[in-house]
Amino acid sequence: MKILEIKDVHAKIGEKEILKGLNLELEPGKVHAIMGPNGAGKSTLSKTIVGHYDVEVTEGDILYKGKSILEMEPEERALEGIFLSFQHPVEIPGVNNAYFLRTALNAKRKHEGKEELNAAEFLREMKKYLEMLGMKADMISRSLNEGFSGGEKKRNEILQMLMLEPEVIILDEIDSGLDIDALRAVSEGINMMKDGKRSFLVITHYSRILDYIKPDYIHVLKDGRIIKTAGPELVAQLEEEGYESIEEEA
Amino acid sequence: MKLLDLKQKTVEEAAALLGVDPKAAALERFAAIGLPTKKSEEYRYFQIEKLFEKAYRTLSYVPHPIEESDKIVITDGMVTHAPKGMRIYYEQCQAIDMEHFDPLYYLGHLLSPHVIKIDLDGDADVEIEHRYTQSGALINYRIVLLNQANRHSTLFESFHAEDISDTLVLYGYDIFVAPDSTLRMLKNQNMHDNRYAMVASHRFKLDQRANAVIKSFDMGEDMGLQLIKAELDRYAHIDAGHLLYLNNEAQRGTVSKIIHKGEYATSHQEAKNILDGHSRGIFDALIKVEHSAKYTKAHQNSKAILLDERAYMAAKPQLEIYIDELEASHGSTTGQLDPKQLFYLRSRGISEVEARKMLVIAFANTLIEQVKDHRHQELIKQTFDEAFYR
Repeated sequence: MKILEIKDVHAKIGEKEILKGLNLELEPGKVHAIMGPNGAGKSTLSKTIVGHYDVEVTEGDILYKGKSILEMEPEERALEGIFLSFQHPVEIPGVNNAYFLRTALNAKRKHEGKEELNAAEFLREMKKYLEMLGMKADMISRSLNEGFSGGEKKRNEILQMLMLEPEVIILDEIDSGLDIDALRAVSEGINMMKDGKRSFLVITHYSRILDYIKPDYIHVLKDGRIIKTAGPELVAQLEEEGYESIEEEA
Repeated sequence: MKLLDLKQKTVEEAAALLGVDPKAAALERFAAIGLPTKKSEEYRYFQIEKLFEKAYRTLSYVPHPIEESDKIVITDGMVTHAPKGMRIYYEQCQAIDMEHFDPLYYLGHLLSPHVIKIDLDGDADVEIEHRYTQSGALINYRIVLLNQANRHSTLFESFHAEDISDTLVLYGYDIFVAPDSTLRMLKNQNMHDNRYAMVASHRFKLDQRANAVIKSFDMGEDMGLQLIKAELDRYAHIDAGHLLYLNNEAQRGTVSKIIHKGEYATSHQEAKNILDGHSRGIFDALIKVEHSAKYTKAHQNSKAILLDERAYMAAKPQLEIYIDELEASHGSTTGQLDPKQLFYLRSRGISEVEARKMLVIAFANTLIEQVKDHRHQELIKQTFDEAFYR
């Protein structure tokens, strides 16, 4: 069974149709990379899956574990196990990073019928992951993403992903603004999550990230539709010939 | 007593109604400015006339024996408790500001010929609890507060009303901040259930190199307005912050005039306003830089979040400048919760209701967390929670 099925989805932002009959299936335990030129609809795809308020789905359906999620609120999708690592994580002054993450984690645990973690238990867990990602301990007390460097913001997204243990992980331009050390640390965090069951949707402009997170499938998104799906060997062709060379599959 | 009876009265008529000496300087000034109406600039956003229309019981102010306590308690306008050794007196006010903009400052002095005078010794950390126990009453009192040069004091104000209704409280401070000293003043007030309405008219006089930190945390419902006049001498500094968290039919806020008189004085004034229900927030604040106040630095800002489409924020930050050699800025924004922030929290599984709460508390925390004393900070957070989860 596919973990996520996107079926002939048409979606618009404002009056502009961005996704024009997009089809995509994610297999459990696999890494799917979405590549495509600017304006192809890559970020709209990620927003559509998580239920962003900007996007209106006009046709088609999205099934998660066989159930439609289009009518679900963003928080319900998150609680069911869908996670988006944002391209530009928003800064929220005054919301303590640890408090935010504990609230999110306990909401998930409650949803799963597990006991909520108290502050001490949570901090123990958080510190473990901070160390793993090479993050400073002051991330506990700082406001959520406020004044974080680009690398810190992306690591913080990965920290959330590690602690919330989602099943479908969407990484929107996770490599943008990262230096090589940050890229390595972020990739290690992502690779740590691979367990043969979780699926990854890696949305990227460039192939660099795919040196660190090995994809099983490459999907080329152009003009609001997936025009080609192939194995990792497609990356080299795209690097050499660009998106113009890709013909839509019948 | 119905305060509306004082409207458009001559000095003699007002003196007779108030039972004061017709030659009292404050009376002349009060009569000249007149009882405020909805047309008065400083009360234009606050329905003051609604409070004047009611008839209030006047109280007789007979000094009580003062019981020893860890804080000063002022019950219905009289000091009932105080820490041992604290210098507190009742005396005639010797230094009424004859240029205050608020008529109720003068009315307060006229109704309170004997003010409560508090001399702060050394580096004092004082709490004043204002207690109100009388329904349908006009509770009037004024406090004169002095600190010592080169000393650093903190004054934490809290308010407690018993199960009363329809009382009007007119109170206020005349505060003289000594040279090279610091005075931190924190006001923590949650009003609800129409127990009392309040008009608090203050005057601050900052001497050379004096430093005043004035933070007000006004939460809940009902009607309350604080009017602040502050004068800054050379190198003086004032840091004023005002948090409003209002709901239901509340009308609350701050009207202020910060006047730079001496060179090199600095002022920073910041208002954070969170308005829910049908509430109205007021931030009507002027910073005036006089000819004598070269090299002033003055910054003023108001931010408001409206949680309900019926809520209204009257934000009017203003600068009045008579010199060129200065640094000054002011600004005001009013909006809703940031949808991007809300979505980010929800995308992590946090419910919309909880996410909204987190953002509101975060907005408030940017001011609350400026309170350095941890105990005071916790008390303010507790008051905020009481108002928020009510």
